[in-house]
Amino acid sequence: MIMTPKVTRRTFLALTGAACLLTVVAAPRAFAQTSPANAFVRQFADQLVAIINGPDAASVRKAALGPVIDHDVDVARIARFCLGRFWNSATPAQQAQYTTVFHQVLLNAISGHLGDYKGVSYAMTGDSPQGANTLVGTRITRPNAATVDVQWVVETTPAGPKVVDVIAEGTSMRLTSRSDYASFLTQHGDDVGALIGALQKQVGQGS
Amino acid sequence: MRQRFQPAWATLALAGLALNACATRPPASDPDAVAEYEQTNDPLEPTNRFFYGVNDKLQRYALNPVSQGYVHVVPPPVRGGVHNVLSNLTSPVTFADDVTQANPRRAGTTFMRFVINSTAGGLGIFDVATGWGYPMHDTDFNVTLALWGVPAGPYLYLPVLGPSSPRGVAGYGADIVLDPFTWVPRGYGLITFNWARYGLTLVDRYSRYAGDIKHVKEGALDPYATFRSLYRQNLAARVAAARQDDPGTPPAWSPPPPK
Repeated sequence: MIMTPKVTRRTFLALTGAACLLTVVAAPRAFAQTSPANAFVRQFADQLVAIINGPDAASVRKAALGPVIDHDVDVARIARFCLGRFWNSATPAQQAQYTTVFHQVLLNAISGHLGDYKGVSYAMTGDSPQGANTLVGTRITRPNAATVDVQWVVETTPAGPKVVDVIAEGTSMRLTSRSDYASFLTQHGDDVGALIGALQKQVGQGS
Repeated sequence: MRQRFQPAWATLALAGLALNACATRPPASDPDAVAEYEQTNDPLEPTNRFFYGVNDKLQRYALNPVSQGYVHVVPPPVRGGVHNVLSNLTSPVTFADDVTQANPRRAGTTFMRFVINSTAGGLGIFDVATGWGYPMHDTDFNVTLALWGVPAGPYLYLPVLGPSSPRGVAGYGADIVLDPFTWVPRGYGLITFNWARYGLTLVDRYSRYAGDIKHVKEGALDPYATFRSLYRQNLAARVAAARQDDPGTPPAWSPPPPK
C-alpha cells in the first residue's frame, strides 16, 4: 500500500465522516429481540456465562451446569437423533443405556472446557425460522481465540422451549456427532453395544 | 510461491496411485448403509486416513509446540496485531473472490476494509473497519466455484493443508493466482516475506483454533470422520452465506434511502 499523504488524509476524513454518519444510522437498525425463543436463549446463555465466568472451583461449576442443561436442553431427543438409523436396531435396554451415557457425554463436553472459555461474552445477532423451529443467533467472543457465530435451534415443546441443536460456524453439533457415531459403528460391525462401551469409557476418562 | 503448489499436486498424484486402496462399498441389500456411503462420498478413505495420521503427527510434534511457544512468548495484544495484519493481507484475494461471486456488496465491504485498515488501522495492525460497520467475512475461490455450480467431488485429505476436495484444490490454486503478492517481481525480500507470511499464518490460525481442535479430538470416537463432517458442514454454510448475502438489499452501513 503506497499512497500519497494527500489521498490518505482525504480518505481518512471521508471515512471519519462516514463513520459518524454510521453510528447515527446503525442504531435504530438493531434486530428486534422480542420473540419467546430469543428471550429463552438469552436467559439460558446468561446462566451458562455466569457459571463459566464464575469464581467457583471447576467441580462446583460443573455441578451447577447439570440442572441448567437438564431444564433447557432436550437431551433425549438429541441423543436419539445422534444415533440415527441405528436407534431402531438397538434393543430398548440399549436405547435406555445409550441415552443415559449420552447425557453424561454432553455434560462432560460442556463442563470439561469450562476453564478454556473463562472470560467469555456473547451478543445476540438475530433470529431466523428453520421449519417449525427458531434459529437464535449469537456471536461468542473468547479472549485470544477466534470469535464464533453460534446458532441455537429452539423447539417449542409442550414443556416449553427447548434447545435441540447448537450450530457453531455452520456446523451442527448433533449432525457432527451422528456422523462420528455412524463411522464408529460402521467400523465395529454396526454393534450399538460397542458404541455404548466406547462412550462409557470416554465419560470415565473425562474430567 | 510455486513451492506451495507441490504438496497439493503430489497428493493428487498419490491419491491417483492409491485408487486401488478404496473404501469398500456396502452391499446393495443394506440400503441405509449404501445411502450413508454415498452421502459420505469418501471413496479414498484409506488413503485419506493415512494422511490424516500424518497431519495429526505434524500437529502434535511441530505445530503444537511452536504455537504454544508463540502464545507463551508473545503477549495477547501483539498476537492480535499480527492476526490483523495477516488478515488484512488476504483482502485483495477476498476482494477478487467477492467479485467472481458476483457479490458487489461484499466486494465493497472488503475494499473498504482494506483501505481503512491499511491507513487508519496502521498498516493493518488494528481492525478499525469492523467497528466502523465493515465486518470481516471469510471466503475463497472454492466458494466461488460452488456458486458457479461446480460439484465438490469426493473428499480429499491433503498433507499439511487438511480437508479438501478436487474443487477445493482447484480453488486453492486459483486463490494463489488471484493473490497480487504472487505477481510482485522477485527480489526485495519478497520470497522471505511470503514464506514468513505463510509460516505466521499457519501458527496464528492454529493458535486461535488449537483449543477447538483439541476439544473435537477429545470428544470424538472417530476424529477423522468428525473433522470430515465439520469441514463439509462449514463449507456448505459458507457457500450458503455467500449466496444469501443478497446484493439487492442495502448493506447495514448504507444511509437510509431519501423519503
